[in-house]
Amino acid sequence: MANSLFEEKLNTDGFLVTTEIGPPKGADVSEMVHHIDLLKDKVDAINVTDNQSSVMRFPSLGGCLLVRECGGEPIIQITCRDRNRLAIQADLLLAYSRGIKNVLCLTGDSVDVGDHKEAKPVFDLDSVQLLRMAREMESGKDMGGSELRGVPQFCLGASVHPEADFIEPQLIKFEKKVAAGAQFFQTQGIFDIASLRRFMQYASQFNVKILAGIIVLSSARMARYMNDNVPGIIVSQAIIDELADVEKGKGLQRGIEIAARLIKTVKEEKLCHGVHIMAVGNESVVPDILEVGELISMPG
Amino acid sequence: MEEIRRVIAPYERILLLGCGTCMTVCGAGGEHEVSFLHSALRVAQARSSDGIHSFLEYTVKRQCDFEFLDLLVDKVNEADAILSLGCGIGVQVLAERFPDVPVLPGVNTSFMGMTKEWGVWDERCAACGDCRLAETAGICPITRCTKGILNGPCAGTKNGKCEANKDMDCAWVLIYKRLEKLQQLEKMRRYYPPRNFRVIPRPRRIVIKADVEQGEDNG
Amino acid sequence: MNVGNKSYSESRLERSPDHSLMPPCQFACPLHMEIGAYVDLVAQGKIMEALQVIRDGNPFPSICAYVCTHPCEDACRRGQVDKPIAIRALKRFAVEFGGDRMIGAEAETKHEEKVAIVGSGPAGLACAYYLRKLGYPVTIFEAYTKLGGMLRVGIPQYRLPREVVDTEVQRLVNMGVEIKANTRIISLDLLFDIGYKAVFITVGAHQSLRMGIDGEESPGVIDGATFLREVNLGLKPSLGEEVAVVGGGNVAMDAARAAVRLDAKKVSILYRRTRQEMPADPREIEQALEEGIDIVYLVAPTRIKRENGRLNVTCVRMELGEPDGSGRQRPIPIKDSEFSEEFDTLIAAIGQAPRTPSDFGVRLGRGSTIQVDPITLTTNRAGVFAGGDAVTGPATVTQALASGRQAAFRIDDYLQHTYPLVNKEAEKTLSGELLPKTVEMIKKIERVEPPSLALEARAKDFGTVELVYGWEEAINEARRCLRCGMGAEILFQDKCATCLTCLRICPYHVPYLDKGGTIQIPPDQCQACGICVAECPAKAIVLRKPYDRRHVDEELEHALKSAAESKSKPLIIGFCCQYGLFGTGALASLWRESKAGIWIVPVLCVAKLEEGHILRAFEMGGEGVFIAGCGEQCSRENTAFWVLQRVEKVRRALFQIGLEPERLQTFNLRASEGDAAEALDNFIGLIGRLCLASVIKQEVRS
Repeated sequence: MANSLFEEKLNTDGFLVTTEIGPPKGADVSEMVHHIDLLKDKVDAINVTDNQSSVMRFPSLGGCLLVRECGGEPIIQITCRDRNRLAIQADLLLAYSRGIKNVLCLTGDSVDVGDHKEAKPVFDLDSVQLLRMAREMESGKDMGGSELRGVPQFCLGASVHPEADFIEPQLIKFEKKVAAGAQFFQTQGIFDIASLRRFMQYASQFNVKILAGIIVLSSARMARYMNDNVPGIIVSQAIIDELADVEKGKGLQRGIEIAARLIKTVKEEKLCHGVHIMAVGNESVVPDILEVGELISMPG
Repeated sequence: MEEIRRVIAPYERILLLGCGTCMTVCGAGGEHEVSFLHSALRVAQARSSDGIHSFLEYTVKRQCDFEFLDLLVDKVNEADAILSLGCGIGVQVLAERFPDVPVLPGVNTSFMGMTKEWGVWDERCAACGDCRLAETAGICPITRCTKGILNGPCAGTKNGKCEANKDMDCAWVLIYKRLEKLQQLEKMRRYYPPRNFRVIPRPRRIVIKADVEQGEDNG
Repeated sequence: MNVGNKSYSESRLERSPDHSLMPPCQFACPLHMEIGAYVDLVAQGKIMEALQVIRDGNPFPSICAYVCTHPCEDACRRGQVDKPIAIRALKRFAVEFGGDRMIGAEAETKHEEKVAIVGSGPAGLACAYYLRKLGYPVTIFEAYTKLGGMLRVGIPQYRLPREVVDTEVQRLVNMGVEIKANTRIISLDLLFDIGYKAVFITVGAHQSLRMGIDGEESPGVIDGATFLREVNLGLKPSLGEEVAVVGGGNVAMDAARAAVRLDAKKVSILYRRTRQEMPADPREIEQALEEGIDIVYLVAPTRIKRENGRLNVTCVRMELGEPDGSGRQRPIPIKDSEFSEEFDTLIAAIGQAPRTPSDFGVRLGRGSTIQVDPITLTTNRAGVFAGGDAVTGPATVTQALASGRQAAFRIDDYLQHTYPLVNKEAEKTLSGELLPKTVEMIKKIERVEPPSLALEARAKDFGTVELVYGWEEAINEARRCLRCGMGAEILFQDKCATCLTCLRICPYHVPYLDKGGTIQIPPDQCQACGICVAECPAKAIVLRKPYDRRHVDEELEHALKSAAESKSKPLIIGFCCQYGLFGTGALASLWRESKAGIWIVPVLCVAKLEEGHILRAFEMGGEGVFIAGCGEQCSRENTAFWVLQRVEKVRRALFQIGLEPERLQTFNLRASEGDAAEALDNFIGLIGRLCLASVIKQEVRS
């Protein structure tokens, strides 16, 4: 029995598509709502990021509530950077009660890369401990051992980094996440199919669904910036060159082409169980990518 | 320097007090540094028009034990304020011992660390009270991982370095490598539950004295 | 540094004694001269002060400068790195350039007791000098016309110019010493009868030893001592063309080299052992070979026959066997290896012995030497002392001087009835080999030999062969000194927190952790660079010599006081390495303090300059401070690195105080970077501008 629509889809053999929406820095959610409306029927679920890259924004929980209101399927992202175990458990109860049952459990980027460098980093838990905690809530008790009145049930996911330059520790982490209860994984942005293939050869032994993360770049400069400053992203030189080799203003177009190309390869070679499209600020082009990538979304 | 000059501004006679143990070893508050600070303050005073301070410099063996501070009574009587180059402990013990004199900190006590080479110190211990170095091949994930996670690494490590500071190694990469060398990788595969952040809740105290009745003859 | 408020440990420092150890050079010197001190003064270019130190320890520095056999150099530990310091040559330099000849000597009579000195060799002259200084009426009795003993009749002119001996004798006369030349003393009783209260016998060892072979009495065979005496008295004995000299000591060398300067065309030295065993000074042997003298080893004459006006000398070849009493391998004649050679003259110089008149009534010992108590130098007769070659057999000039000095003090004890207390506690001396890890780091600088007279010039006359250093050569040679025993020590062990800073930063890897976990700085390894002293976070390390400890402080305070009294503005303080001030021409221009407002604080190596000194200069009115090193000539390692570390630290503090960091500059720390004088001029201009700017700022504010 699936806990959510998304989980149902996970249990089938279909090629899944998810995407993510970055909330605004402010209380004005009109643009976010517009993006939600644009995408809710074209993808299987929508992530809302949570203070991504340690930059303070409108929270994921709030964004997911809006996704529900608009009739979409949300995936809430919970990081361990900003909240301790009490706050996270409380947020999980709220999320579940409002029909947000898909949870992406993340450790979270360090405070140093964001815009509030003097904040106290919480990290009361890490991603593995968060997965475990959510699973244990499902058995009716909180972390302190008290009984819950109204027991939540979740579809839990986590992230993984197939293109890490030193892969062995990441694989150990991946296994721990699976053991802790993760059902699906959205990878960090991939740019090199060969690495992904190697990773999937290893990961396919586990009974989890893996969605390849596809980042939409808009320029060589953006690619280089992400390389240097965004944790978990390694853009290959080949891609950077490809992006550099366009006329001014056509960068995004090229980025879309690259993204679509990667998606097609993943789908045709059945490398992963789906893709997770990250348009980082360019959410409006996601439909174009879906078209060019010849993806058909299954209406919820 | 600015901060120090600001806090001593209201006082005339300042006792610059160094500490001869840890602060000497880490080159931050021993006699050498007290002397340097004294010289610099005198230059600052000489060049400004409103110098009211007079300085006395001295270094005790330690500032964190009352017995050493008892030796200072005469000097403290001659002072309007004490600027301590001791660690935060020293400053507070001084304040407790000499409650009638303002005690001001002259250094920012930052961490417990090791000397990599002369002039370079790295943090190694956060005094978390829950040491798990046995599980991590002697590399502390609390101080050397910027997120302090126990099931590492995170996805931010690149070239074996930490996402927060590219000059510092990723602790979990170091832990992996060393466990591999020791053939103890299973330690890294284990699930480590969330830390007890309040092993000893603050304000903290450790008592080793046993609660025994004090007799007359046998103590 | 913080004059107003001395820390407790600063007061402790003032009361602490000299902990320097006696370096091996000083210990090896019979006179225990403060060699380390005067070599360092030469390195600083302070020649007159160096000469003062020399004169304090030696009554006749000019004589030693020419002929001392330098046991100090043999003991010099620089020899463990490359070659020993050329100490004698440096002394000669100090004597010549410090104006030794012009120094007068004075003495006043404080006692009545008259002392007689029999013999005017170095021992007798030294004894006269010290007795006179102590205030005794002294008379020297000399059998010959001129004074000096072996200095006059033994050592040839090309090694020791006669004017030098004459000057010293004249100095003694000026001091009030009575000289009775041409007076041979036959009996001591007479001396006591006419009122002398004590007698010092130093008749030397002038009696040549006999070879003990047939034909030794033949005409044409002379003994070395007699030959040299004749030469030194100005007679020119005729030698013929081919001359043989038998022997391997300095007298043999002197005789051979004198022969070359007379009419001999070919001079051969016959020695019964090999070069290694020759007791003569290696340099003498070298110079003899340079002058064309042939040395035949492992050969000895067995018979001499005079034939047809020439000498037919039969020699036998030798081989070396077991060591004999002197520790050298005994020469053994090889059977049937005789051969003959013909010479015009043969000079026998195999050794000398004293010839003491039996009427002196003193007990004699081995080799006809006078027996004395080694501490008091008394003979078996009351009031009669003896010293010099007459007691030891042929020895060195410096040993004789030491003997004469010792006798003077012991005679004083005798006459004043004081107990002859000899300092039983020998000052702690430094011994030990330098460890390889330290030797490796010591900067290698080649020893420069003093120049010699060209070969062609030598054979013509008896002009001095060894010439004197030039200024730069002398200073650079003196810089090579390792300053044994003058290094750092952890004086305040209770302050030491064992932070390991000294161990980590010493360029020579000297400090180490002993088994108990305590830091030790072994005095025999320390190179006295001063880096650890300045960097110690607990200020527990000091330099052993009290002079070194406070040198910078005192010079700085003096400069600041003088600067305060002058009106020149703006005030700039320059800390300049003393060693480079002279040696490096670039900095010499700094001496023209005509540039208004610059005050130089001389430091003995900028590595000893601490942050507190720099800040004090700024505190006491300095608008700009510069530090000038001696560039690439610095004989110590890493000095530039540490100066720059401290400069950065002070610059940061200056910035935080509101002063421009550019007010502190360094010049010439590493290789000479362009024209230091020009850079200094630019710096002065900058300071002027900054001062003006701040004056304007002040006025605007008010």
